Amino acid sequence: MKTKLLFIIWVLFALEVQAQDRAITGKVVDQTDQQPLPGVSIRVSGQKSGTLTNTDGSFSIRVSEAEKSLVFSYIGYLGKTVQLRDIGKLVTLEPDLQQLSEVVVTGYSTQERKFIAGSITTLKGEDLTATGGSGFNQLIQGKATGVQVSSNSGVPGGGITFRIRGNNSINASVEPLYVIDGVFVNSSNSIRAGLGNQTASNPLADINPEDIESLVILKDASATAIYGSMGANGVVLVTTKRGSLNTKAKINLSSYQGWSEAVNKFKSVSGAETAMLANEAVLNTGLDQKKDPASIVLPFADPSSQPTYDRVSGLFRTAKTSNYEVSAQGGSATSTYYTGIGYLKQESVVKPSDFERFTGRFNYDNRLTDKLKIGTSFNFTRTERALSGSDNNPTGVINSAIFPRSYLPIYKPDGTYARYGSFDNHIALIENLDNHAVGWRTIGNVFGEYTILPELKLRTSWSIDNNSVYENSYSNTLISAGIASNGSAASYETKNLVLTNEQVLTYIKSFGENKKHNINALVGNTIYSKLYETTSASGTGFATNSLRSIDNAAIRSGSSSRSQNKMVSFFGKASYTYDNKYTIDGSIRADASSKFGINKQWGYFPSGGLTWRAGEEKFIKDLNIFDELKFRGSIGLSGNQNGIDDYAALGLWSAGYNYLETAGTAPSQLANPDLTWETTRQIDLGTEFSILKKRLNVSFDYYNKYTYDLLLNVPVPYRSGFSSYLQNYGAVRNKGLELSISSVNVETKNFSWTTEFNVSKNDNKIEKLASDITLGASGRNISILREGYAVNSFQLYKQLYVDPKTGNAVYDDVNGDGLITSADRQIVGNALPKYTGGLNNTVKVKNFDLNVFFIFQQGNKIMNMNDFFLVHGGTQSNIGFLPRQLERWHYEGQQTDIPRMTTFSGDPTVNGGSANNYGGNVASLSSRYLEDGSFIRLKNVSLGYTIPTVTSARWGISRARIYVSGSNLLTFTKYKGLDPEVSSQSSNQNTAGYDWATVPQSRTIQVGVNVSL
Amino acid sequence: MRTQKITLTAAYLFSLTLLFGSCKKYLDVVPNNALPTASAIIDAGTARAAIIGTYDGLQNYYSADYPTLGTITADNVIFNGTLSEYLQLDQNAIPTDNVITVSAYRKIYRMINSANSVIAGIPGVNDPLLTPEEKNKILGEAYFLRAIGYFDLGRGWGGVQIQLNPTVDLNALKGVKRSTLAQTYDQVLADLVKAEELLPADDANTRNRAQKSTARALRARLNLYRENWTEAEAYATQVINQPKFKLVDNYKTFFTSPFLSSESVLELSFSANDRNSFWNLWYPSSSGGQFTLKPSDSFVAKINNPAIGGSRKTLVAGSGTTVYGVLYNTAGVSVDPAYLIRIAELYLIRAEARANSGNLDGARADLNVIRNRAGVAPFTGGNKEQVLQAIADENSLEFAFEAHRWFDLARTKKTGEVLGVTNPNFWLFPIPYSDILSDPDVVQNPGY
Repeated sequence: MKTKLLFIIWVLFALEVQAQDRAITGKVVDQTDQQPLPGVSIRVSGQKSGTLTNTDGSFSIRVSEAEKSLVFSYIGYLGKTVQLRDIGKLVTLEPDLQQLSEVVVTGYSTQERKFIAGSITTLKGEDLTATGGSGFNQLIQGKATGVQVSSNSGVPGGGITFRIRGNNSINASVEPLYVIDGVFVNSSNSIRAGLGNQTASNPLADINPEDIESLVILKDASATAIYGSMGANGVVLVTTKRGSLNTKAKINLSSYQGWSEAVNKFKSVSGAETAMLANEAVLNTGLDQKKDPASIVLPFADPSSQPTYDRVSGLFRTAKTSNYEVSAQGGSATSTYYTGIGYLKQESVVKPSDFERFTGRFNYDNRLTDKLKIGTSFNFTRTERALSGSDNNPTGVINSAIFPRSYLPIYKPDGTYARYGSFDNHIALIENLDNHAVGWRTIGNVFGEYTILPELKLRTSWSIDNNSVYENSYSNTLISAGIASNGSAASYETKNLVLTNEQVLTYIKSFGENKKHNINALVGNTIYSKLYETTSASGTGFATNSLRSIDNAAIRSGSSSRSQNKMVSFFGKASYTYDNKYTIDGSIRADASSKFGINKQWGYFPSGGLTWRAGEEKFIKDLNIFDELKFRGSIGLSGNQNGIDDYAALGLWSAGYNYLETAGTAPSQLANPDLTWETTRQIDLGTEFSILKKRLNVSFDYYNKYTYDLLLNVPVPYRSGFSSYLQNYGAVRNKGLELSISSVNVETKNFSWTTEFNVSKNDNKIEKLASDITLGASGRNISILREGYAVNSFQLYKQLYVDPKTGNAVYDDVNGDGLITSADRQIVGNALPKYTGGLNNTVKVKNFDLNVFFIFQQGNKIMNMNDFFLVHGGTQSNIGFLPRQLERWHYEGQQTDIPRMTTFSGDPTVNGGSANNYGGNVASLSSRYLEDGSFIRLKNVSLGYTIPTVTSARWGISRARIYVSGSNLLTFTKYKGLDPEVSSQSSNQNTAGYDWATVPQSRTIQVGVNVSL
Repeated sequence: MRTQKITLTAAYLFSLTLLFGSCKKYLDVVPNNALPTASAIIDAGTARAAIIGTYDGLQNYYSADYPTLGTITADNVIFNGTLSEYLQLDQNAIPTDNVITVSAYRKIYRMINSANSVIAGIPGVNDPLLTPEEKNKILGEAYFLRAIGYFDLGRGWGGVQIQLNPTVDLNALKGVKRSTLAQTYDQVLADLVKAEELLPADDANTRNRAQKSTARALRARLNLYRENWTEAEAYATQVINQPKFKLVDNYKTFFTSPFLSSESVLELSFSANDRNSFWNLWYPSSSGGQFTLKPSDSFVAKINNPAIGGSRKTLVAGSGTTVYGVLYNTAGVSVDPAYLIRIAELYLIRAEARANSGNLDGARADLNVIRNRAGVAPFTGGNKEQVLQAIADENSLEFAFEAHRWFDLARTKKTGEVLGVTNPNFWLFPIPYSDILSDPDVVQNPGY
């Protein structure tokens, strides 16, 4: 390094000596706006070295008498050779419009958007405005076509559902690949505490959205095939902020504070109503049993005397959010930097969950020589979550509050916590839960790029994603999990280490007359490994509640595990553009994964695409309508191997089947030496056009994805000793349409109004499946996978009506045998929205800016498990009622969908018999609890004011903006639960769409300030 | 200069091809917590681990599932929680995907597959550390475990599909239809005959692994179920005469730590590292449990009646609406054993067999051994029907929270009379829904 510098100095000095003849001075400015251009490179033609302009654009260079001209070059501008005699005081450079045209980061390369054959959505960092979400992937909701994003619950930092063009798989992963500054990052939840089948975390909340410069979503085969076996579910490429060469340091400070409230809270009927309903159930049951009404003993002699306790308010709070950011960026002639730190703390509206995040980032690039560039991107994050179970967890906070009957007090007369049935006391939980998960994450990358020839570059990149989560929980003797055991503690350490090394050789060249021929090609390889390690310890029996570390426990146990997978890949891609009009591209990737059978480790994933910029054709130009018109089409294959076990192909006996303190083994997995890649074939046809002087831009896509050789856990007869067998069987199709429109409605000096609208439609269908697979809701099998239907379908007994004469529910007798048996369960809807989208309007008036953002989804169903449990007709003597139970049939002629109260257990096969009202064969698995989950939501409104530069400059501030914003202000929906954006059983991708004692989305008001120095 | 660049490019491309070669080795990953199937039973260590794993399979369905199926379905225990799978069992309206029946069925076959693997694998092990005696012991245990597996399937689900080989290839499963109940019980008998031959003779203390008496005890029960009274009596007698088994004086002793009382013929032990939290389903939430299984009022009345329950009233605790069962009582530490066969059962088997063979005096004598221990007055007089009823009533109390009552009612066809489940179709559990979907060879039990 030092010698190189000395060498450069020596060269400069030598030049100095040779050609010390005369000094040329001047100033370089932009031709259009006459602004000075700092950092423009100036050299004598034919020579290597020269000088750069200063920050004010001025320069001074010494040239020999014989020289006639100087060469000016600057990124983003057309190069210029100027005769010395023509150099006045000002040299003007013309912006290179071609270069300024949008350049998009795609797989392993950057390409000009207009030539890209693939279907790609790009977002800028500033589009990801904080709307209450902590993960950048959450903030994409409603902003990109073909991407369905929704939060599974209102818990900050909690799991989200993120699908690009639908669910491609059943048992393998449906999560996209996330690549952050070239690093493949792990996106699977690492928190192990069981919270009630809810995904506990969104691992991408580890990334600070403020650090993000841009985000590219690759959707079709042409774009994703280069990622081969990892690309089938789409790819999200994230580029973080970097400095620019020759820019002065810019310091940004920002902060916001927010306050959130639950929009809707759980409701239950009063104590008197509970008693009245319970009496009614007992009376009706007696009548059904043909008892003499006089002999029936009612549980409540005087229902109206029952007290009512507010079991709900204690759950909720006004949740506070605080965020602080500081960053600095800039660059010298050879190096650039961006560094930033951030802090976020978000409380959940339901106590006691919260989320806290510290992030730090350092991005640095240095041009060591003209040819060699090195750079690094490092991200450090510490997150801390206060965890609390809900959903499918009877001793969860919400369940313990809402399930016990409303006449039951929260405290016993002696002031201690009261508990009922299977439930804990919610206040005891809120006050005593001590379950924290601390995540440490380092995502880092070091790269070197060597320019072998101007058109040929070799890049090598070494990456790490090291993610560890350390969880500690202690259940003291005041909560039911710790009562019997005298306190119980658990500690888990989970480590995910992803190491990636890649080499890419890129060739970009334009040649021919007017540079009509353009080639952009690359080859490369990837070596990838992922290591997953866990250690856990637990202890029970503590001397006192203040001793809570496991080494204080009377009984202790521990375990650990390790699993690893590796991958080797080779890839290549080439695109050729002729005359700015026609582009043909192709790519191929070969992947080998250690997960697969030794015979079938390798998978090959080719793709091809065509682009026709029809707008460049004379006959289109002559129409004078289109500023840009482009047609593109692509086809290709991509693969999937994520989400299956690392050793999925092997026949295994597992250990841990112990007895009498002796180690035992038992068969755990059948071998499948033919296990191989799940493959997605995708066709995409798209068009993009701009009209009205590029004021209106429209993009439209049609795609058809067929995923075959699914990595499917095929259920096998239990007599085999196994429950399922992982094999390549089955197929899923997703096809859909995507439309996005952006429009500049008004643009004047003091007033502008822009609108962006997008809508996506996706149809999912299982094309081939060995047999039905049923699952969900703790063995109630409400979710089903069946050939010919979408994944995430619900199977229930379809309730036709409640007979106004008898008050009994009548169900659809599917097989027409006159009986209600399990054969009469049918698919009555699914959890996948048919349409999703967003509408964004931004208005700027002088220094004010207003943004109004709607999101919507249509066509999905929600299984309301709260109704399922709390509208039980009296069958659950320990559980209260939701107000919907009051709608039960209770007089002849009543029209309602809630049948008559009864716990009669007569013949369970009679249709219209009272046994099936809430019990019997139907067992409440009635379509009356399935609801439409469509909604339109005013996701965010923000109003900002930028302090005029004249004012702020006086304070030494280059830009300052203050704003106030509101999230989830309005929601239009028919859904009767608390909030339609919910998925309580999200730890399994095939059980989407349940609402089950879940923290609802909140309404948030936020105020913030951004200052740049 | 230019050649140098080309060389660099070429070198990179060349190294890519080199990488191809070393891929295979790089991609070779091996698990550190599992064995390849081929080396699962190859020496003394793995053979021992495999039979332990089979016992673990028995533990797995006897810790909670099977006792639940034997109790909440009948009259002594009622549903008190929130989980509908228990409600379905209590109401005897069992859907084909009832979680408990599915889980038990699946776990039993899982254990049978383990046993089949041991039976197939042990003869091929050539390890001097594994003596012929130990081989026989392991094989005998595997036959015994398979026998109890098929017995439990038979009495719960009727005649089932009989698998006698370890599953390595799913194609081998094809074409196996359901057997009749008699065929299933024949298979149990065949395995018990082998087990009795191979198992070691009884030592003084072993109660949590099978020995000859364990196989005989199960054979006595099998014969009782098949109404082969003479053989039932003969095998019961063999076990009763084995001096290592003796009724404990105080009923409570057998379910009080340190367990493994002289009463146990087969009891599966649990430990701090191998827990059984069945107590959780019985204890109220104020004691840290879920209170899903609750003793019925009629049962509580009987057990607390000194003339009927006697010292067995120690099976319940609490008062008022919070009376709960405490057979499984190691709240917190969770080390309650699973009680499979107690010597008390052999007395009642013999009593029933004798009564059915007309030996009423002998029957009363055996019955009164049990009543005497409970501190209840002896049963005297009565005709055959009355004696049999007295034995049935005694069974109901003596094994109130063990996997007995439902199966006793079903085999004596009293399910309709006692529980009101008059349709005999519902005296068997349904074959799991997913098996109906995935197995073309299985036929659902009628009525489901």
